[in-house]
Amino acid sequence: MADLEGLTTSIETGDRAAATRATQQAIDDGLNPQAILDAMTAAMNNVGGRFQRNEIFVPEMLIAARAMKEATALLEPLLVAADIRPEATAVIGTVKGDLHDIGKNLVGMMWKGANIEVIDLGTNVPPERYVEAARSHDARIIGISALLTTTMTGMGDVVRAVRDAGMGDVRIIVGGAPVTAEFAREIGADGYAPDAGSAVEVAKAALAR
Amino acid sequence: MPPAARAAATPVVDEARTTPVRHRDRVIAALHHEALDRCPMQLSFTPEFAVRLRADLEARGLVARSGSGSHNPHGGGNTYELELALDEDLILTSVGWANSYYQGPDAYTDEWGVSWRAQPYETPFGTGHYTEMVGRPLASDAAIASYRAPDPDRPELYEEAGRVIAQLGGEYYIVGVTVTTIWETAWALRGFEQLMIDLVTEPDIAEAILEIPFQYHLRAAERLTEMGVDMIWTGDDVGMQTGMLISPALWRRHLKPRMAELIARVKSINPAVKVAYHSDGMIWDVIPDLIEIGLDVLNPVQPACLDPAELKRRYGDRLCFWGSLDEQHTLPFGSPGDVRAEVRTRLDTIGRRGGLILGPTHHVQLDTPMENFWAMVETIQGRTFPAAASVTGE
Repeated sequence: MADLEGLTTSIETGDRAAATRATQQAIDDGLNPQAILDAMTAAMNNVGGRFQRNEIFVPEMLIAARAMKEATALLEPLLVAADIRPEATAVIGTVKGDLHDIGKNLVGMMWKGANIEVIDLGTNVPPERYVEAARSHDARIIGISALLTTTMTGMGDVVRAVRDAGMGDVRIIVGGAPVTAEFAREIGADGYAPDAGSAVEVAKAALAR
Repeated sequence: MPPAARAAATPVVDEARTTPVRHRDRVIAALHHEALDRCPMQLSFTPEFAVRLRADLEARGLVARSGSGSHNPHGGGNTYELELALDEDLILTSVGWANSYYQGPDAYTDEWGVSWRAQPYETPFGTGHYTEMVGRPLASDAAIASYRAPDPDRPELYEEAGRVIAQLGGEYYIVGVTVTTIWETAWALRGFEQLMIDLVTEPDIAEAILEIPFQYHLRAAERLTEMGVDMIWTGDDVGMQTGMLISPALWRRHLKPRMAELIARVKSINPAVKVAYHSDGMIWDVIPDLIEIGLDVLNPVQPACLDPAELKRRYGDRLCFWGSLDEQHTLPFGSPGDVRAEVRTRLDTIGRRGGLILGPTHHVQLDTPMENFWAMVETIQGRTFPAAASVTGE
């Protein structure tokens, strides 16, 4: 019998075999795909909270995201058939000149876990690529990451490029080790996520504005 | 400000060359929680900042215009021209994987099989390059069993350390650098995310990979200690801005026993040798563990992650500190006044009654204004360096 609580727990603990088993069982039992999806996003929401509180760390977050990804793959066709869409689309990338992608990847995983579609542009991304990708994917969120003081100033160039392109409803979220809330305000970003765990609520708050 | 630092704050132009305090004695005193004339200072630079600094020092007549100094921030292949001109107290000489950084502008593969390429970035002071890892020799499980690490007993690896100890060892405090000791080299070999996943799902694989750089750097640390360095600088980045990368439990299981072994081994060779541990980021939870295994000095104390004053309050009687000047905000983006204020705050807090080697929390980066750099150096040393005949304004 389907066990959605068990599904949540198995994703949260990164047990991908149990997570895919529970997902398949829920599908076989004919459960509402939205209810199954909600059990999955609840897991990643817990993961984000525990990461923020330093109760779990990067390895645990990675294996939870991996379990989420495999479980979601089983559910995907049902979501499409039921016309259940992601809450929003986000374009994410590490800023030009910067090849560091750990933080960016973690934020992408957390956003996917919150049913936000993530278009990952990789690293060393020039401003115009964020603009093009946001436009072609009809994204409402742009996530920009930087590890370095020497590259984080380039985040301002991305904000300007997005504003110059007249994409007024796109929300720009920034993060990365040297980035502060004050810096985010100065460059005109819409949100600042101090860690991957808080990136979901920051994105949702920015979308609600 | 402690009395010794206050006394040193009086400008004493040109007195440095005749001061009776040897650089080495200054560091030894600080590490015994005593203050001589001033707090010891250690700085390193990214290659492009070193070029700017060299031009500045030439204009001030502090290095020869004909000099051909290259600067490796970890010490390997360094001419130490800049360090000596700045009256730094510690001299670094490095054996290990960390020397794979900054090997050149073209793509290269280091002797561990890690491939690299130079990534340019722009700053107000010109274009810089970081060398970044792009290929990992142990990405596949199959590669692990047949992998052979470089040989840490090649005599040529220690020639530079021998020269440094012979030529500078009396006057300066010599640090044998074996950073990226376990974890960072292992992640370069395996890949960051995969090594993280291995730790929780395949701990035997993780152990096998961690052991490779550990054995290499352990051997290097032993040999450098036998040669007579004053300190072994070891460690790995295990902190992020707001918390640890891996849980304290995983750190204790996989990294602490190895670090304990390294400290015990080098101290069995020379009980007087000091050991410093480097980790960027927020690592509060494992500091008591580091003290327990005999650590002497914690580096780099990123002030945006670990409150230096609180560190001193909690652990200042059992631990010394090295670094603490903010390379994430103050040095690149603050004013010279901000830099001076931060140096004075450190001297008054984490540097009270010795126990501190002051310096930036990372190599000084190309985005740092020269005015900020000099504000840092002159405030630490409590003196004014000779002005440039014609330094180009920035």
